Amino acid sequence: MKVRKELWFGFVIMALIAIPVLVFTPWTNLTNGHLGLLMLALIVIAIMLGFPTAFTLMGMGVFFAWLAYRSVDPSKAVAQTLDLFVQRSFGVMANDVLIAIPLFVFMGYLVERAALIDRLFKSLHLALARVPGSLAVATIVTCAIFATATGIVGAVVTLMGLLAFPAMLRAGYNIQISAGSITAGGCLGILIPPSVLLIVYGATAGVSVVQLYAGAFFPGFMLATLYIGYVIVLAKWRPDLMPPLGAAERQVALPDYSKTLSAGGSNALAGLFRAVTGNAQVPKGTVLNQLFISLLPALALGAILALTYYSATAPAEKAETVLQEVGGATAEQEDEASVDTGGLAAPADEEEKPEPLGAAKSADEPKPAEAAKPAPAVEAAKQAPATSAADAGPAERLPVPTWYWIMFGIFAAVVALLAWMWTWERLEVFKMLLGSFFPLALLILMVLGSIVFGLSTPTEAAAVGAFGGCVLALVYRFLAHRQAAAAGEARGSVAWTTAKELGVIIRESSFLTAKTSAMVCWLFVGSGIFSAAFALLGGQEVVEHWVLSLGLTPLQFMILAQFIIFILGWPLEWTEIIVIFMPIFIPLLPKFGIDPLFFGLLVALNLQTAFLSPPVAMAAFYLKGVSPPHVTLNQIFAGMMPFMGIQVIALILLYMFPQIGLWLPSVVYGR
Amino acid sequence: MQKLLLSVDKLSTWIGQFFSWLIVGLTLSITWEVFSRYALDHPHDWMFDAMLQMYGTLFMMAGAYTLAKNGHVRGDVLYSFFRPRTQASWDLLLYIVFFLPGTIALTYAGYFYASDSWMIREHSSVTSDGPPIYQFKAVIPLAGAILLVQGIVEIIRCIICIREGDWPSREADVQEVDVDKLKEMVHVKDEDIQKLDALVVKQEHAK
Repeated sequence: MKVRKELWFGFVIMALIAIPVLVFTPWTNLTNGHLGLLMLALIVIAIMLGFPTAFTLMGMGVFFAWLAYRSVDPSKAVAQTLDLFVQRSFGVMANDVLIAIPLFVFMGYLVERAALIDRLFKSLHLALARVPGSLAVATIVTCAIFATATGIVGAVVTLMGLLAFPAMLRAGYNIQISAGSITAGGCLGILIPPSVLLIVYGATAGVSVVQLYAGAFFPGFMLATLYIGYVIVLAKWRPDLMPPLGAAERQVALPDYSKTLSAGGSNALAGLFRAVTGNAQVPKGTVLNQLFISLLPALALGAILALTYYSATAPAEKAETVLQEVGGATAEQEDEASVDTGGLAAPADEEEKPEPLGAAKSADEPKPAEAAKPAPAVEAAKQAPATSAADAGPAERLPVPTWYWIMFGIFAAVVALLAWMWTWERLEVFKMLLGSFFPLALLILMVLGSIVFGLSTPTEAAAVGAFGGCVLALVYRFLAHRQAAAAGEARGSVAWTTAKELGVIIRESSFLTAKTSAMVCWLFVGSGIFSAAFALLGGQEVVEHWVLSLGLTPLQFMILAQFIIFILGWPLEWTEIIVIFMPIFIPLLPKFGIDPLFFGLLVALNLQTAFLSPPVAMAAFYLKGVSPPHVTLNQIFAGMMPFMGIQVIALILLYMFPQIGLWLPSVVYGR
Repeated sequence: MQKLLLSVDKLSTWIGQFFSWLIVGLTLSITWEVFSRYALDHPHDWMFDAMLQMYGTLFMMAGAYTLAKNGHVRGDVLYSFFRPRTQASWDLLLYIVFFLPGTIALTYAGYFYASDSWMIREHSSVTSDGPPIYQFKAVIPLAGAILLVQGIVEIIRCIICIREGDWPSREADVQEVDVDKLKEMVHVKDEDIQKLDALVVKQEHAK
């Protein structure tokens, strides 16, 4: 039989695992510990054969658990194995960490189907038009936002392959860079919370998901920034790879009233003020509306400043005990979410615009956010009962810290800069962003914020997020239908069509959610019995003994562990790596004094590479599926390589400066 | 034969899809609970148990559905490069070696686990006066049994595939990445992609 080329790769890996195991196993005096290691080698080989992993784990776990019990007392072995298995399975069913998975997955499917990605990409593309490599940058930003909200790599890469890839190719972008930015950007959702990977890691390693989310935020952000930085530098250095956009591509269509008003000058803010005071040919209502939208950034920044002032100068007594200190930090950081508390106490020295705070915020936060708003706001009010005492009189307030004035200065400068740059085109772009980028970003921030600042559990936040996703889907579908109706294409009433479509979306999303959660959670059912068998056989002790006997330094151990995970990422998927191999690494961490939280962040960053490394690079295949026939897989792989390099750099950076990941958890949870 | 296989598929699918609606219930009930706790100051003790039961039932009952749609994650280093006949032979062997013992053990042990709980009308001990939990434990043998039936169907499929050299068909279902639907969503047509190909060829020639 002629073996195909692709198969060789797999067979070679298999042989690399099987041969050392066969050679080094002391067959004559086989202890239970050796059986455990044998089991581990067998599972890797069995997984590579392609049988559903959950059942491979189940079958093997049951068999080896039985072997372990039999070596102690053969007469009870069967009953004990069955007991262990069913208890482990029930443990997965009643796991209060894993319950967040179906909810986040559901939210992802709903957001995916909300049909907002094309608006998102288009508005970001126009907003970033002047940046070098603007289309690639817009692609990465769109991917990061959308992938964070959905978490479905395949869908994000496919959609961006349909939207951004043609746009980049038409603009004369290099194929490899276009492909690389789509695939790398699409995988960001795995790392940036709320991600399912971190829940799975948290459930496996017994690390708080909340802290993982807080920790993964900045590394994810850093990785996205590195990608963008790379693209910008490359575009500056080699403009032939990413030519700047032509004037036609950057053109923003202006509505009639702005065309009329722009005759008076290019600055929209000045023009609008003139139109309000003087008599223009444009209705006053429209002008006021536009003026209000133009002032939104200033109003939002003002609100943040007011809230920061309010919490920074809050009386000191609430910071007496550790518990309250957490609450204090919460109130301080949570300025964006807990508007209502702050609105009551807008400080007097906020001359700029003290009164419209409430109005600014309610307009600034779109509908999905409102659904989630009561929770954080009321909770914040509860958490800081001492703060309300501050309303009594400003005399009790602390002096304003210096950093506040620095922040004030920066914000004022930003507002001034915005006002100066506020052209009519920018106003239109801002309105587009307001309709696409901000709702999604706010949904993510609400979900994340309420989790990280302890206002709700991940489960609750996920449920509210799913609800928000549903509202997003409703709103965007409604808008699309109304547009179609305005163009005279629609049949029947807009509301009815939207309702019908929403029904289909929810139905499909819940079916998909059932399948995805079954896939992940049955894996846990299998790994429950499998890791129990591994522990029963004493495989853990053998591994521990062996690793300790190597006399590694923590640094060496860390590099070794990350290297093993990196290599495993080639043939295996992240679910399998975490569920099967983390239980082996985690008990070793205390021996080397490594924080499991920090380790988890490194693993999450590391597993990003698993999506981009051939041959199981899902992202590449999804992109290939929707790209023009002459784009080859090799070109896509070649495009992904620089981004993989950036991932490794990010990994090294995170290792060298653990504060990137650990700073936020330490501030919020006092770790 | 094919008819029988498909009707078992349909049964598993129907059960899985029926229970998949729990995710809607879960979302709504938790959202309401959050609202009720923070806004109305009226939390419910039994909510914690209720949401766990919804989640547990959801994924356990969807196990057979996922198997019927070939949705359980596979290590895909070699598998997709195998000929269908090779795939089926390995699958058949591993269904017998891994799947059957595991699932039978789960169903058998689950039955006694649930019946013990059922006999004493066990209630949850998470909160005092917790909700009943015995019906939740009964999910284990039920889900195991459906999974077992679906597994036997899959085994028959393997045998058919070995004899005929090709996999028997399955019924279509919603796909996670349904390229045609996504194309429609962002208004991209196949002709556009074809047109784009000319650009790609041009760039290749320019080098």
